[in-house]
Amino acid sequence: MSPELTAALRNETPAAPGELRERVALIAAAPPPPRRRTISLRRTLLFGAPAAAVASLMVAVVVGTITSSSPSAPLTGQFARELSEDAATGHPVQPLDRTLAPTRAAAVPAPTRGRAQDVHTSLRVLVDDPDGLSAATQRALRTTRRLGGYIVTVSYGTPEPAEGTASLRLRVPVSRMQAAVVSFSDLGRILTQQTQITDLQQRLDELTRELRRARGNKARTQALRRERIAINRQAAYATVDLDLTTHEPEKKATPPGRLDRAVDDAAGVLTAELAIGAYLLIVASPFLVLLIAAYAGSRAYRRYADQRLLERA
Amino acid sequence: MAPVAYTECVSDQPTAHRSFASTAEDHLDDVYRYLLYVTANPATAEDLTSETFERALRRWSHFDPSRGSAQTWLCQLARSAALDHFRAEARRRRREQRLAEPDHGAETELPDDYGPVLRQALRTLSGAEREVIALRIVLELDTRETARILGISPSACTTRLSRALEKLEQKVRPRLVA
Repeated sequence: MSPELTAALRNETPAAPGELRERVALIAAAPPPPRRRTISLRRTLLFGAPAAAVASLMVAVVVGTITSSSPSAPLTGQFARELSEDAATGHPVQPLDRTLAPTRAAAVPAPTRGRAQDVHTSLRVLVDDPDGLSAATQRALRTTRRLGGYIVTVSYGTPEPAEGTASLRLRVPVSRMQAAVVSFSDLGRILTQQTQITDLQQRLDELTRELRRARGNKARTQALRRERIAINRQAAYATVDLDLTTHEPEKKATPPGRLDRAVDDAAGVLTAELAIGAYLLIVASPFLVLLIAAYAGSRAYRRYADQRLLERA
Repeated sequence: MAPVAYTECVSDQPTAHRSFASTAEDHLDDVYRYLLYVTANPATAEDLTSETFERALRRWSHFDPSRGSAQTWLCQLARSAALDHFRAEARRRRREQRLAEPDHGAETELPDDYGPVLRQALRTLSGAEREVIALRIVLELDTRETARILGISPSACTTRLSRALEKLEQKVRPRLVA
């Protein structure tokens, strides 16, 4: 391009006329309106995205903390101290299922004197080796006999040279059940211990009343008496399931602490949030693509239309 | 008429207000010249210049110097005002074509300040061609700023300018030689 033409274009282009200067001066004399607070898309994204991330993180932390501090499942291996009172009979009714902490055999609950009860105790005892297993089994049998009990079943086996188990089902008089459990607990280290007491007295009382009403009915009386005898026999002896083993169970993994649980729960919530976000993104992505394409198309068309307008001007 | 000194009118106004007044004073000629090239009509250019500064006053609080110069910002507003004007004109013409005798709108009549040769040559250019010449040659904006105002890439801006200048020179040179 020639310098003459450039100079001509610059020099010959007129400045704004005075009238226009006055008009613009009047416009400029007015105070500019105050800035209105508008939230632009860029600002929304700039602050909204980190805010959403922080909010998600906080939700995860709060949920993790709350869930980790919620009360855990009721403790097993510890007796409930309170006993519920039976409203009808006024007799204390012991809980049906009780599990003892495997530390003190003497803590086995005593059956209630004067009431017919079905007492069932399970013990799992660890012994050192197969020799110890044999000795402990014999000692358990002797103890049972010494206490006036009897053996229901015995199962003894050593499938591996260094391993063995003996399962005994014993019946000992209820009055000596505690002594038996104390004695069995001395055979080795108690792994588990569970005692279950079922009250039979109520049924016995009912049978007594039915027997009075059934006088004269010989067959009915005999059936009721047979049942009463069976219940008394059941109540006279406690059942002891004694498992002796040389195999120490694998130690349970230490339950995670509260902080670990909180972190785990928070991570779970975060993962869920991410999954939901990803799902929404996948579902919304076709619409987003369409929206972006429509926006870009409209911009391109507008630009094209503007260009056409200027070319025709 | 003697030019009005804007600083006298607004000397007791707050800084932001004074800043707008001084910006208007500094760039009034730029905006007017640009619009004169785009519209090729002094009266329309004057109206659109006023319209541009009214818009600028309303949006002054949104002006961010870090994103571009005041000159570029005002030229963008001026372009927007010119395009709105052309659209309105096009609608009006379409309406009149349907209903009555067509009106060809404001004629291209560049002021007499231009020499006859240059004026005649500029009349043969389109508004888009005059626009890029105004921005790059008359207002001396760089390619990046010009492209930003036009909404095109810098390379497209360069191409458009070279074609417009080539066309202008083709029209001007024979007459200058003659």
